[in-house]
Amino acid sequence: MKRIFIDPKKCDGCKNCSLACMESHRKDGQTGIYTLQLQDPENQSRNRILSDGKGGYLPIFCRHCDIPDCAGACMSGALQKNMENGLVEYNADSCAACYMCVMSCRYGVPAISPDRRRMIKCDFCTHLPEGPACVRACPKKAIEVREV
Amino acid sequence: MKRFVIIGAGAAGITAAKTLRDFCPEDIITVISTDEKVHSRCMLHKYLGHERDAEGINFVPPDFFEKNDITHLCCEEVQRIDTEKKTVYYGEDYFAPYDRLLIATGSAFFIPPIPHFREAPNVFGFRDLSDALKIDAAFAAGRRVFIVGSGLVGLDAASALCRRGAEVTIAEMAPRVMPLQTDEFAAGVYQKAFEEHGCRFLLATGASDAVVDEKGNIIEVILSSGERVACDFVIMAAGVRPRTQIALESGIAAERAIAVDDHLRTSVPDIYAAGDCTGLSGVWPDAMAQGKAAAENMAGIDTVYEKPYPFKNTCNFFGITMLSVGRLDDTEGAKILIHKTEKEYKKAILKEGKLTGFLSLGDISNSGLYLHLIKNGIDIREKQDKLFRLSFADFYGINEKNGEYVYTV
Repeated sequence: MKRIFIDPKKCDGCKNCSLACMESHRKDGQTGIYTLQLQDPENQSRNRILSDGKGGYLPIFCRHCDIPDCAGACMSGALQKNMENGLVEYNADSCAACYMCVMSCRYGVPAISPDRRRMIKCDFCTHLPEGPACVRACPKKAIEVREV
Repeated sequence: MKRFVIIGAGAAGITAAKTLRDFCPEDIITVISTDEKVHSRCMLHKYLGHERDAEGINFVPPDFFEKNDITHLCCEEVQRIDTEKKTVYYGEDYFAPYDRLLIATGSAFFIPPIPHFREAPNVFGFRDLSDALKIDAAFAAGRRVFIVGSGLVGLDAASALCRRGAEVTIAEMAPRVMPLQTDEFAAGVYQKAFEEHGCRFLLATGASDAVVDEKGNIIEVILSSGERVACDFVIMAAGVRPRTQIALESGIAAERAIAVDDHLRTSVPDIYAAGDCTGLSGVWPDAMAQGKAAAENMAGIDTVYEKPYPFKNTCNFFGITMLSVGRLDDTEGAKILIHKTEKEYKKAILKEGKLTGFLSLGDISNSGLYLHLIKNGIDIREKQDKLFRLSFADFYGINEKNGEYVYTV
């Protein structure tokens, strides 16, 4: 099972990870971050880099928790912990948009979609054979995929 | 080889069955339920609104029982539990012996003692798929619906029926809709949205009598205000009661709810209870957590179940989303902070430096944090000035071993 490990001390807040996330999940058929609509809430980044108020940065990424509160709150079965790959997977077709997951994640990771019909969360870029786009985009190696 | 029997196929029962299978690959697991199909009660409105079919509100994969080698005895009513012989009797004298038993019978809708309401064949609850089927049939014959109660269940039913063009009247004893979850402002937003979709609200009043036809069906509801409302059928959404009958008749300690200890054990050895029937909480996530904890204990893994924080909910009606945590009405000696923009409304209740209530209407992303702060009584005195802008960054910590987050306070 894999997890994106975070070393906040190495993060310099460039947000390349956020751009890479948006690029990886964009649905407008275009490629290249220069054509990204940065304020499109439909394609918001699933990770966030926040200031610590002291000049440092704190990356907030889905942990795909060992005991995920989001999946433990899901009344449609849309969120499931996959015990084989460790990921908390999401099936938008089953989702009832009740947002119990939003209420239950104490880290504030799941976001609600602008149309209020689904939730938005890290999917570990399973559509990319090379793994999470954010990790590859980080120039400081503040985030890296490790086996847990 | 152990024999596990679970009564009930809701959030607690199904989660327990799955957990038992995870820990006990060889043992025999049997689920007995009155429901024919597993379904999420929280999605019943999707069924009633004809957005989804019965399979669409199933919260487990269609091959759940097969794949996990669990026997599902559906459409079966449990008659009694012989706690001496450790056997559950169901249907017409069938029986299922158990080594460990879980009671996860949930709760049932409650009909207050209003004349004719308990006897009338056209008064329905909105708890189970079977209720939704009855309402569906009634709706085919008449489109005027009277709903008693404007809590989440009442509004779920109303939103589904509005979608199908019903003429809905909702009576609410409190002066506002969803009184447990809202304040005046939030209630007004939802009331307006429902009215725009064809609902009529009668607030601060309740049904006090009814006029019935020759078959005993309610054709007119008489309110305490004296007003009369003609209807084709009635939906009761005025609260639920834990289903305790089986426990009571079998000598298992129960009053309003089935009594459980911190391992979810009942008063009788080898019998556990989880979910709504324990009266500990009425929300889905807590039922799942109880099903899991009870199953772990049944499997021999010592698991302490900590009392849940039950005052929490979210809702999403017509795309208007809300999160509500704590007791919003309990404002005596409290400091109330409000943040309001065109798109958002947030309200926080603070007592002695701690959050006791939080309401968010609009984009509720990131609000799980506030439940955590309330549930754990975390002092946020020093962070008050940015109360509505808090994020996990304000409590950031990492468990170096497994890379998960931890709260630092």
